[in-house]
Amino acid sequence: MDPLFDSAFLRKLDRLALLTRRPMAGEMQGERRSVRRGASVEFADFRPYTPGDDIRQIDWNLYARMERFFLKLYVAEEELTIHILLDTSASMDWGEPNKLHYARKLAGAFGYIALSSLDRVTVTAFGSGTNQQLPGARGKRGAFPLFAFLQKLTPGGSGKLAATCHRYIQTARNPGPLLLCSDLLDPSWQDALKTLSSRSFEITLLHVLAPQELEPEIDGDFRLVDTEDGSPVEISADLETLRRYRQNLDNWLGEVENFCHGRGINYLFADTSEPVEEFVLAQMRQRGVLR
Amino acid sequence: MSFLTPLALLGAAIIGPLIVAMYFLKLRREERTVSSTFLWQRMVRDVEANAPWQKLRRNILLLLQLLLLLLLVLALARPFMFSTGISGRNLILIIDRSASMGATDVAPSRLEAAKTQAITLVDQLPDDGRATVIAAGGQMEVPAASSSDRRELRSAISAIELRNGGGSDLSQALTLASALAAREEQSEVAIISDGNVSFPADVRVPATVRYFPIGNTDTNVAISALSLQPSAGGQTLFVQATNYGANPVTRRVDLFLDDRPFNAFDVTLEPGREASRVFDIPAQVQTAEARLGEDDALPTDNRAVAVSIVNDATTIRVVTPGNRFLETGLSLLPGLQAQIVPTSTTTFTETVAEIPVTIFDGVVPDTLPPGNVFFINPPRSTEFFSVTGTLDFPAVRPLPGDEPLLRNVSLSEVSVLKAARLTVGNWGRVVVDGDGAPLLVAGERDGRRVAVLAFALQESDLPLQVAFPLLLSNLVNFLAPGSGAEAAQLAPGQPLALPIDQNITEVRLTRPDGSVVSSADGGIQVQNGQAVYADTDALGVYAVEEFRNQERVAGHRYAVNLFTAGESRIGPQQDMNVPQTSGLQSTVAREQVGRDEFWRWLAALALLVLVIEWLVYQRNGIAYLRDRWRNRGKPQKPVRAR
Repeated sequence: MDPLFDSAFLRKLDRLALLTRRPMAGEMQGERRSVRRGASVEFADFRPYTPGDDIRQIDWNLYARMERFFLKLYVAEEELTIHILLDTSASMDWGEPNKLHYARKLAGAFGYIALSSLDRVTVTAFGSGTNQQLPGARGKRGAFPLFAFLQKLTPGGSGKLAATCHRYIQTARNPGPLLLCSDLLDPSWQDALKTLSSRSFEITLLHVLAPQELEPEIDGDFRLVDTEDGSPVEISADLETLRRYRQNLDNWLGEVENFCHGRGINYLFADTSEPVEEFVLAQMRQRGVLR
Repeated sequence: MSFLTPLALLGAAIIGPLIVAMYFLKLRREERTVSSTFLWQRMVRDVEANAPWQKLRRNILLLLQLLLLLLLVLALARPFMFSTGISGRNLILIIDRSASMGATDVAPSRLEAAKTQAITLVDQLPDDGRATVIAAGGQMEVPAASSSDRRELRSAISAIELRNGGGSDLSQALTLASALAAREEQSEVAIISDGNVSFPADVRVPATVRYFPIGNTDTNVAISALSLQPSAGGQTLFVQATNYGANPVTRRVDLFLDDRPFNAFDVTLEPGREASRVFDIPAQVQTAEARLGEDDALPTDNRAVAVSIVNDATTIRVVTPGNRFLETGLSLLPGLQAQIVPTSTTTFTETVAEIPVTIFDGVVPDTLPPGNVFFINPPRSTEFFSVTGTLDFPAVRPLPGDEPLLRNVSLSEVSVLKAARLTVGNWGRVVVDGDGAPLLVAGERDGRRVAVLAFALQESDLPLQVAFPLLLSNLVNFLAPGSGAEAAQLAPGQPLALPIDQNITEVRLTRPDGSVVSSADGGIQVQNGQAVYADTDALGVYAVEEFRNQERVAGHRYAVNLFTAGESRIGPQQDMNVPQTSGLQSTVAREQVGRDEFWRWLAALALLVLVIEWLVYQRNGIAYLRDRWRNRGKPQKPVRAR
């Protein structure tokens, strides 16, 4: 099996870091500002002493002046949990270059960046009924299980996008940055995004579409069959039909983008004909996902 | 509507279901797997908002193909409509091109309508049919003889032009048509005319004759006479207008002298009546013209011209022992001067130009003078004829036909006591026959006009009748053309003949339209002391000038007018009784026997449908080209970037 990335690209990824817009709570000590108070060198706040507090944190200088106990609080630095949701439904395993493969690479790059800044990465692939999950990789050592997991993924089934997302937010423990890699070719895409944004995830949507979906090259009478549920659509493709398809596609993309903006979702559109390296190094940085 | 080969319709029953079956086979679309039909379904929902049209659009190719099949099968079945026309395979078209066909009651003119009708008939011919086109009126012409080439026939028909002169005599044309029809079966003679024609009653056409009447009005007023005669105080202008229509009309007559307005007056004419006026005008007037105010159906006879004959008297030599009838008759003719010469004269010194005509009354000299001669009761043979005896009480029988010498002359009351029995060579035509030998012969030989009257005037009662001065006038016109009042008037198409001297080097003629023809370039033929110009079909004044070494010696003017009642009477005849060997007389096409086939139109329509079908099939390419054309010069659409 081909490795997902070559080492030169990984070195480039090492220099990048994930941007988060606000502090988030984690489980273990890490390198990111947390909403919690904890042990670090950076002063955060004072708090009156309540019985049971650690007396080592009492600010004795302040006690001398005011004769009352105050605790000196410091900003906690914790790890982040990066959630990667990968759509592996049959519709993703299509297109030239393949959408799933593209999404896999993006997820890998994203996860690797997170791992190299000592964050926790969980990957959930949904599609064929049962979710395939990588519960938590941490540190650079976790890159190998991550890549292996991604390469092992088998596509298939019809991902019920909304249902999967609903289940995911119910089970996810620590909200954090969430990367959703999908083609959104599902009538329930709005519900899915709505569900995800109901918890305090910092969502980035990677919308992956193949060039064959953007500019279909068909001419004549066809019976188009859905890869997921096999439902057919009969069309007589001529220039007029294709023009209307593109019009419709543009409208839909605009709709998705507007929907994301309205809910604070970071929207990134990926055309699989664009090289992954370029997309990660240029587009994702430009859009403020990476630094 | 009927079909010639209705079996071809079966083709539709066979091929039609085939096309439909193939169409349904085609409906099994090629399957193609796409990632998701999500987007396509969204699009199809939009499209199905106007579903009926879309359904039709999907079937439009099938419908077009079925239409194409239908048209082709119909064309193969050769449908036709019955129409008034002809049914034969050998069509003989007689197209009247006489002056009355120039009437404009049928736009643009009757002749054009006749040509259109003729072309329709030619189109109706079956594929192996042949047609002969005969143009009657004036000199008969056969521009296309037994041809099956439609293009040749069409161009022959289109090339037929109006002839003002020559009348509407169909006898020649019918004779030729009969001969042609007798040669081939399934012949049919079509006469396209306004019906104002003449033909001999004894003709029997061995084929069906159909008459296609052209024209719808009889309203026509004509200037029927206009003459300029010398009188005591100058000249007398005589104008006559005739109403040939069926309704009384009032028309204005404008008179012009030498192209300057002279007088105008209104005439009210009852149907079939004429009105005339006489004006005294000065002697120096050269031409007079009369015009009818507004135009009517036949414009050509609304205008007439007359030329002055003052100072243009012709001298005639009369060699006679003394003949009071002859001398009186000649003295009555205007513009004519008779020079009486005793019978003892044997040598004649004057030239042709000085004395163009000699009349020998009862004598024949040893040497004949130059110029035209008229023998009355010749006692012995000459180089022109032989006298072989005498006839007693010959019956006077004028020959049928439109003989100019017998114009207005009725010889039915004439009795002849004794006449010379003449034998004439083939130069002469017999004008009046009398029991096996001719009584009056006229003709032309070596450029000389010769007339022979076989009996002495004293031995018949001819001089006592009205016919005599008229006959004499006609004879003098024939012998001395270009002289006298009548001679200055020519009928259209009548050749203009002018005796000229030997030393004349050039004769020039100015036509009514201003163009000039000359004997120098062969436009006028000069031969045996005569200048002859034949193309006098156009109406108006013809001015002839004689030149001797570039010096103008003499000039004459001739007026050509359509003074033909037969042509001015333009009322179309509804039927024409031409006796046919089948016993029929009427030639009106009562039953519809013509067949108008129109499979060509269906085939052309099928071709059009084929083109449309192909365009519909290739609509993608066309839309692509159209987009390219619209976006020409604009930069290519940028690559999608988000």
